Amino acid sequence: MIEVEKLKKVYSDLAKGEFVALAGISFRAQPGEIFGLLGPNGAGKTTALRILSTVLRPSSGLVRINGFDVMTHPAEVRRSIGFVSNNTAIYDRMTAWEMVEYFGKLYDIPEDRLKDRMEMIFQQLAMGDIRDVPGAKMSTGMKQKVSIARAMVHDPPVLIFDEASVGLDVMVARSLLKIIASLRDEGKCVIFSTHIMREVERICDRVAILYRGCILDEGTLPELSERHQQNDFEELFFEMLSNYDRERAEKLAAGGNPS
Amino acid sequence: MNWKHVKLIFSRELRDQLRDRRTLFTITILPILLYPLMGMLMLQVAQFSREHPVQIKILGSENIPESPRLVDGEQLYSRVGLESIAPLVKISSSALPELDNEKLQAQATDMLNKGDQDLIVIFKPRFREYMDQLAQTQVGEKVEGSLLDESDRGLEVILTRSRDQSQIAYNRWQVAIEAWQQEWIATKLKGAGFDPRLVRPLHIAPVDVAPEATRRAIVWSKILPFIMLIWALTGAFYPAVDLCAGEKERGTLETLLSSPARRREIVWGKLLTVIFFSCMTALLNLGSMQFTASLLSNQLAAGGARGLAESLGTPPIYAIGWLTLALIPMASLFSALALAVAALARSTKEGQYYLMPLLLMMLPFVMIPMLPGIELSLGTSLMPVTGMVLLSRALVEGQYLEAVRYLPIVAVVTITCCLLAIRWAVRQFESESVMFRENERWDLRMWITSIWRERDFTASVMEAMLCGAIILVVKFFASLASTDPISDFAGLSKAVLVGQLALILTPTLLMAIMLTKSVRTSLRVNAPKPIDFAVCVLLAIAFHPLAMWFSTAVTTVYPLSPAMIEATSGITKAIIDTPLWMILLTLAVLPAFCEEVAFRGFIFGGLIRQNGVLRAILVSALFFGLTHGVLQQSISATFMGMLLGWVAWRTGGIVCTIAMHLIHNSLSILLSRAATNETSPAWLDLFVTFEKGGFHYDASWTTVSVVLSVACLWILYVRSSDSIVANESRTVDRPLTD
Repeated sequence: MIEVEKLKKVYSDLAKGEFVALAGISFRAQPGEIFGLLGPNGAGKTTALRILSTVLRPSSGLVRINGFDVMTHPAEVRRSIGFVSNNTAIYDRMTAWEMVEYFGKLYDIPEDRLKDRMEMIFQQLAMGDIRDVPGAKMSTGMKQKVSIARAMVHDPPVLIFDEASVGLDVMVARSLLKIIASLRDEGKCVIFSTHIMREVERICDRVAILYRGCILDEGTLPELSERHQQNDFEELFFEMLSNYDRERAEKLAAGGNPS
Repeated sequence: MNWKHVKLIFSRELRDQLRDRRTLFTITILPILLYPLMGMLMLQVAQFSREHPVQIKILGSENIPESPRLVDGEQLYSRVGLESIAPLVKISSSALPELDNEKLQAQATDMLNKGDQDLIVIFKPRFREYMDQLAQTQVGEKVEGSLLDESDRGLEVILTRSRDQSQIAYNRWQVAIEAWQQEWIATKLKGAGFDPRLVRPLHIAPVDVAPEATRRAIVWSKILPFIMLIWALTGAFYPAVDLCAGEKERGTLETLLSSPARRREIVWGKLLTVIFFSCMTALLNLGSMQFTASLLSNQLAAGGARGLAESLGTPPIYAIGWLTLALIPMASLFSALALAVAALARSTKEGQYYLMPLLLMMLPFVMIPMLPGIELSLGTSLMPVTGMVLLSRALVEGQYLEAVRYLPIVAVVTITCCLLAIRWAVRQFESESVMFRENERWDLRMWITSIWRERDFTASVMEAMLCGAIILVVKFFASLASTDPISDFAGLSKAVLVGQLALILTPTLLMAIMLTKSVRTSLRVNAPKPIDFAVCVLLAIAFHPLAMWFSTAVTTVYPLSPAMIEATSGITKAIIDTPLWMILLTLAVLPAFCEEVAFRGFIFGGLIRQNGVLRAILVSALFFGLTHGVLQQSISATFMGMLLGWVAWRTGGIVCTIAMHLIHNSLSILLSRAATNETSPAWLDLFVTFEKGGFHYDASWTTVSVVLSVACLWILYVRSSDSIVANESRTVDRPLTD
């Protein structure tokens, strides 16, 4: 469903010059699976997901979603994904219903089918009471629900959540994770990026640990625990990052290329 | 393009903006309130000026001649021409105090400063005697010397310009005393048996055959386009910022970009919204202004200010119609520019900072038509915005023939500008670096370190732009510093040496050394293929007639001023009088080398990065043109610069363009000299006709040269190295375009 091969992204930055955000990462995610992209801030998660959603163009490498290449068939890729970004991205002067309807129409869903689909989503996400509430008057939790409804409206096979739980209170975050889990149960392929260990432990089927633009390791949680001889996932994560930094510093000291 | 998406985005943005109180205030509430408030203020001011008569103090009223009468009690004597002024002047008269002149002036100053009086008029002791003597003087009679002594026979007026009322009193007094003087002369002439009309034999009463509506239209034709365009600009600004920077701030832009709507569709949807608000703001302002003006003119007429009411009147409705037609392309242009600039901003606050320079850049184009003597002509019609303003003015004034004559040119210029602005806006939305700019904390030390550390083989786009800007700025200040006109070769060579070596070559070389890893690569010094070089040499010769024709066309459209012709005569003289090798070295070899190194080398090399071929050709040509200082030369040089830029791109270096530049300048010099030389070679007559100290190519050779030029360009296009072209147009972070 999602194939990423040797994906590289280089930014031209005023202060840092050429900055490698992704150094040739590869991973795959299947339908009915939640693939976690775990990494600290600045690891390259948002860059990777923006490339997956065709908002950014890769510098090199291959990204295929639902069989479509992001470079050659971006329009088809966009129809195959629902993207929920790390901010709630809600129009202040539109109601929940208007906002979801607007995106539904952008996906060219026929009027009658769109209405039925929206009724279903609003019921599924328990959004009946915020239907006519404008974005400016919504709480963060409400906004996140609208954002998810907007991403689901065209019933895409792939859903991308970019740090979607950031800034949510415990109750709303729990509810969000439940929704994501239910999407997996419907057979969707879900990419879920976060820097919170507990969320990964709770819902991700497989996880890739991303740091400084590189995937340090990838697998199911038991596989990772076994490979690194560490049952505490937070400790495991911390050790991997520390080891990477130490090895990098040693390479630099030896005059080699740290990447 | 999916127009359904465009329509959808347009309707969403429209609805969103209509729900925004700030936008609603700017486009509806402000115009509805502004003009009635301004009208009320105008009425108040008019009332204020009507109800405030001025106080004039006359000292020495006993010295005023009895006939003709000047004062009637506490008022001016009302005579023909003074009907409106007499009731607005209150006079208080008293005898001339027995004081010396200095004390008298001090007393008058004191009265003015206290504010009791607005003007003091002193009739000197012998004024009456003088006037009576003068009245009895016969034609040819010698006037006695004592009469020429002004100290005690004159009339002194004391005012203070620190108060408006004093100035108004003075103006009214001037009118009154002039009328009195005229009557005095008329009486004198009549007494002597002459016709009083001898003093003013002509009474000119112009007959204005223009209908009243047209007369009113002329007043409004100057005001309305200006107001309309200013409001169209203002109306485009706020929605453009909200639709770009606001959307980035809310985080909704990323969501929209990952939807099936393509970038082009998003831009068009937003652009139509901005155009709508730009048009609506301008139209509501025009409408409100027309409504207020009609009410105001009625009020003014009823209140006695009939003259002002007639000259202003109501803007004719057809004027509004023509302006509405002109508004659509103008609003489109402003909206596309505003959208492209606003796309750079990361927040609405930042957007407002960016749009202010845009407003300041647009203002001169809107203001030029307001200058006296500026009319619709070939030259003005070629100027963006200005041409459209003048065209709409001609239409409002009913000069339809004139308008139709220049309509095609104005339309082509306006449509081209609109398309370029829209293309820029689309490119902004397609650029990752524009759409996802991070908040960089700028630090000078860090910046300088990074510039040195991250040096590349060629300049960056910013460095290329900076180089062009530095050259322009230093050239500008150098031109201000040198005030002496060039009269001989010494002056010419000094100006060229300083201009080329110090102001163009030195900054370029310094930047190439400091900012890049390789001077040679950054200046694009690559050996061309021999055949390419030969084709370029042929192209330079073949293209010369076209370049000359273009130069002539430019000076026909924008003629050189006599002062400019005078200033360039010294250069022409130096070209003719100096030995050929010296003048070729100065005006052909040196500029060809220095200018190509700078404009087609360093600047072009930086601008062509990140898929910027078109940008490199146009911007480097523009910098090249602007360094020539004189407008006519700048236009011709920009045209030539575009050709040289294209050749520099296709041949991958500056060697060919140096040769072309050298040949072009040399041919111009050689033909100018041949034109003044009676013994020019006979074979030249096959190609060139010499007359009046100048030259022009024959039509037949010009035709052949066009064919040859096209052939050369085609050969270069086909032969140009794919590797160089591909290498230069490669992009580091080229965005997705759909």
